[in-house]
Amino acid sequence: MKSWSRGVLLLPLIVAPVLSAHADKDRAVDAHSAGAQWGIGAEKFEYRYSDTGEELAVVEGDAFYGSDELKFRWLFEGEWEETHDAWETVENQFVAQVPVDDFWDAKGGIRIDTPKGPDRVYGVLGLTGLAPYWFEIDTNLYLSDEGDASVDFEAEYELLITNYWIVSATFETMVALSEDREIGVGKGLNYTEMGLRLSYDLIDRAFSPYVGVVHERKFGDTADFAEGDGGSTEDWFAVIGARIAF
Amino acid sequence: MGEAAKASESARTITVEMHDNYYEPESITVKPGETVRFVIENKGALVHEFNLGTAQMHETHQRSMQMMVDHGVIRGDHIDHRMMEMDMGDGHSMKHDAPNAVLMEPGETKEIVWRFGGATDLEFACNVPGHYQAGMYGDIEFE
Amino acid sequence: MKRSILTALLAGFASLAVNAGEYNISVDRVQIDTGDFVKEGIGYNGASPGPILRFREGEEVTINVTNNLDEMTSIHWHGLILPFEQDGVPGISFPGIRPGETFTYQFPIVQAGTYWFHSHSGFQEPNGAYGAIVIEPEGREPFRYDREYVVQLTDKHPHSGDRIMRNLKTSADYYNRQQQTVGDFFSESARNGFVATLRDRMMWGEMRMMKADIEDVQGFTGLINGKGPEQNWTGLFEPGERIRLRFINSSAMTYFDIRIPGLTMTVVQADGNNVQPVNVDEFRLGVAETYDVIVHIRDEEAYTIFAESMGRSGFARGTLAPKEGMTADVPELREPPLLTMADMAGHMDHGDMNDDDMAGMDHGGAAMGSGMDHSAMGHGNMDQGSGSSLPQDPFYAQGSGLTPVASNGGRFLSYADLRAQNPLYEYREPTREIELRLTGNMERYEWSINGIKYEDADPIVLQYGERVRFKFVNETMMTHPMHLHGMWSILDVGEGKWNPLKHVISVAPATTVYMETEVDAPGEWAFHCHLSYHAAAGMFRKIVVEGGPDDQVDVSAVAREGGDA
Repeated sequence: MKSWSRGVLLLPLIVAPVLSAHADKDRAVDAHSAGAQWGIGAEKFEYRYSDTGEELAVVEGDAFYGSDELKFRWLFEGEWEETHDAWETVENQFVAQVPVDDFWDAKGGIRIDTPKGPDRVYGVLGLTGLAPYWFEIDTNLYLSDEGDASVDFEAEYELLITNYWIVSATFETMVALSEDREIGVGKGLNYTEMGLRLSYDLIDRAFSPYVGVVHERKFGDTADFAEGDGGSTEDWFAVIGARIAF
Repeated sequence: MGEAAKASESARTITVEMHDNYYEPESITVKPGETVRFVIENKGALVHEFNLGTAQMHETHQRSMQMMVDHGVIRGDHIDHRMMEMDMGDGHSMKHDAPNAVLMEPGETKEIVWRFGGATDLEFACNVPGHYQAGMYGDIEFE
Repeated sequence: MKRSILTALLAGFASLAVNAGEYNISVDRVQIDTGDFVKEGIGYNGASPGPILRFREGEEVTINVTNNLDEMTSIHWHGLILPFEQDGVPGISFPGIRPGETFTYQFPIVQAGTYWFHSHSGFQEPNGAYGAIVIEPEGREPFRYDREYVVQLTDKHPHSGDRIMRNLKTSADYYNRQQQTVGDFFSESARNGFVATLRDRMMWGEMRMMKADIEDVQGFTGLINGKGPEQNWTGLFEPGERIRLRFINSSAMTYFDIRIPGLTMTVVQADGNNVQPVNVDEFRLGVAETYDVIVHIRDEEAYTIFAESMGRSGFARGTLAPKEGMTADVPELREPPLLTMADMAGHMDHGDMNDDDMAGMDHGGAAMGSGMDHSAMGHGNMDQGSGSSLPQDPFYAQGSGLTPVASNGGRFLSYADLRAQNPLYEYREPTREIELRLTGNMERYEWSINGIKYEDADPIVLQYGERVRFKFVNETMMTHPMHLHGMWSILDVGEGKWNPLKHVISVAPATTVYMETEVDAPGEWAFHCHLSYHAAAGMFRKIVVEGGPDDQVDVSAVAREGGDA
């Protein structure tokens, strides 16, 4: 592990005293303040069937604990490939998140990838929030223990058909600043993923089943690497799943 | 219900005190045909009315009183006399000059002399908006 | 001789008994059945709502509160003037009541009217810990009635207070099911044109604000005296009677627009204080406010008490009936209101928008920000007589989407209609003004005063003997019922000594409202937005009153320092 990633690991140790100082306030604050909050959820918990017969289980989950000023967040992303009986993606992020504006949070921390292939550890710096016109944005800069840098970007827009039937449109992309052949990352634009999901809030906003379509496409060297490994470069998926929040 | 009369025709004086927002006494007994001199004293802190009439007459009168409040003639504890005299444009003003009623500021004392007719359902009431509804009225009982 | 002494002693004892009452309250876990759902909650003496406490003005009350919960609790006597140690705010007036402990409150009753009590610990109040207080006056009241009922409303939610707070913090629109949809877009396009509608959506979208952001916590069942609409709380009467209804809004979050179709209501009391009677067809009951009204029912008919939430997401319903089981029609909920640009004006004046963004927007509401024209308020209802156009309620931004309208086109009570019946204080010039900007971030569900949350704020320090003028500037898009403990809030309606005394001042979006306070209660007091989740999110302050009746205080020195909160 390189020294900068140790620095990232130290981050929680630096910010923890801020939280505990917060808890030292007097009793009146305890009795009248909402204090620290927590939440666990899965924005995506779904099964994907591709037009080429590929089957995937995909989970994008997140848990947080913290105050308005500082939250700790664990983000999990996993892709289980039915045909290969293997985890294509296992990504754990541990970040600290602080507000930087009315609508935006900065986050910093560590990302650990442990899929079936080689592992990677990254330092993460990100920005997440709500852009004008109700676009939810999440973008991060990653620097791996191999010294490779990449940037991802996610946007989501929700269209209310009714107050319970909701169409959400998502767009996701990743650009690598350098090649990491070992894990199939080419330099430049790696992929785009676009999704359209129709959900229904069945139990509050805690359980919302959905169906949808997802289009995935790989580009440039990344596409070549995938082809070389016998994978596809463009897929259409039908998805069925649920959004979950506790 | 009767008519206004001269003080000299009355054999009996009844003093009615106005308070916020009630009268003392809360009911008055008269004989059919009797002429009564009412001495009304406003001992409250607000403008009040003493008005002899049927419940229906009071209800009608309350609408014009509401207008007097809406136009700033009756201002809680005083009357805006200038507004009261003002021509409303159609030759009407918001003068309060019926013979069966007096509108009074705090501290004022006024008189009404009234010759009652036969026994009917009459009330004395304050039709300043809200006051009647709050209970500022009393029955005229006929012996 | 002996006998007369005995009589005197007995008389003395009797009067002592009358003037000193002892009351016992237990704080218990209870089941709350709304008709729509059954929910575990907290109540008093085994029920929610708790008992109606009936006190007498001049009485010295002793109240033993036993905590049967496994957590700390407290009872705050909402609106009562009392020594601050008796006010029941944990961490400010006292440490709170531990599980199993009995705490004895003791204080004199120095006022009369309708009030209520509730827990001031965590979210126990939304979870059911509330009850009513009725205080009989020493003298005659300026109105009369044959019968009276407490009508205590609440917005009972199937979720616990903690869970609601957590959901709001995770997603501020978690409970909002009145958001504008694609369907709304098309029907509005058909009405106003596609381009205009798109432009409107873009404008709100750019601000990341919602027109439908009126009720944060929807999904509740409105209760009257603990009964849901189906359970239909019923008050009986004899035809011809005059009935006093003591309305109390004990909701966590919900304002109610209240009417009794077919009856005119005469408002005689606001927040426990007598007001010059006003006849209205409908009134808005802010959270934690009380209004007493008198209705006169002549016929043998049933009447519905219909309380629609301000955002029309729910309602409470009860009945006044000559016989048990008689009911009247229950009206439909009216269309939910939408906020307008006028309601956003307060936010924009201090927000981060640039001039380009501001161009072309309706600045109607901004006029409120520069202060109300008090001279005009006495004539607030000038045009009423003509019937055609109702006057603008000066306590809402000009063009506000929240301005209430009576369902029958009649009279809707405004704060501007309220006048003290018998002023408690002589009017005098305030010694200083303190500006309190009501601030927040809806997206993050953070609420604050002057941009500072309670945990980060210094207390507001007042000097005993001052008359402080508070200037509330609502920079948010929500309505905040601001509640000062221990001292009266004298609402400025521009009528000098006739300004009414309240304990809750509701401040609508993008408006500026003034209240004055005679600082006549030493000690430490709470001051907060009475929306439970706003208070917990930071819209809360401690007030410290320095000095006391025995101290000589140089008030002019304080005035020179000016008032920073």
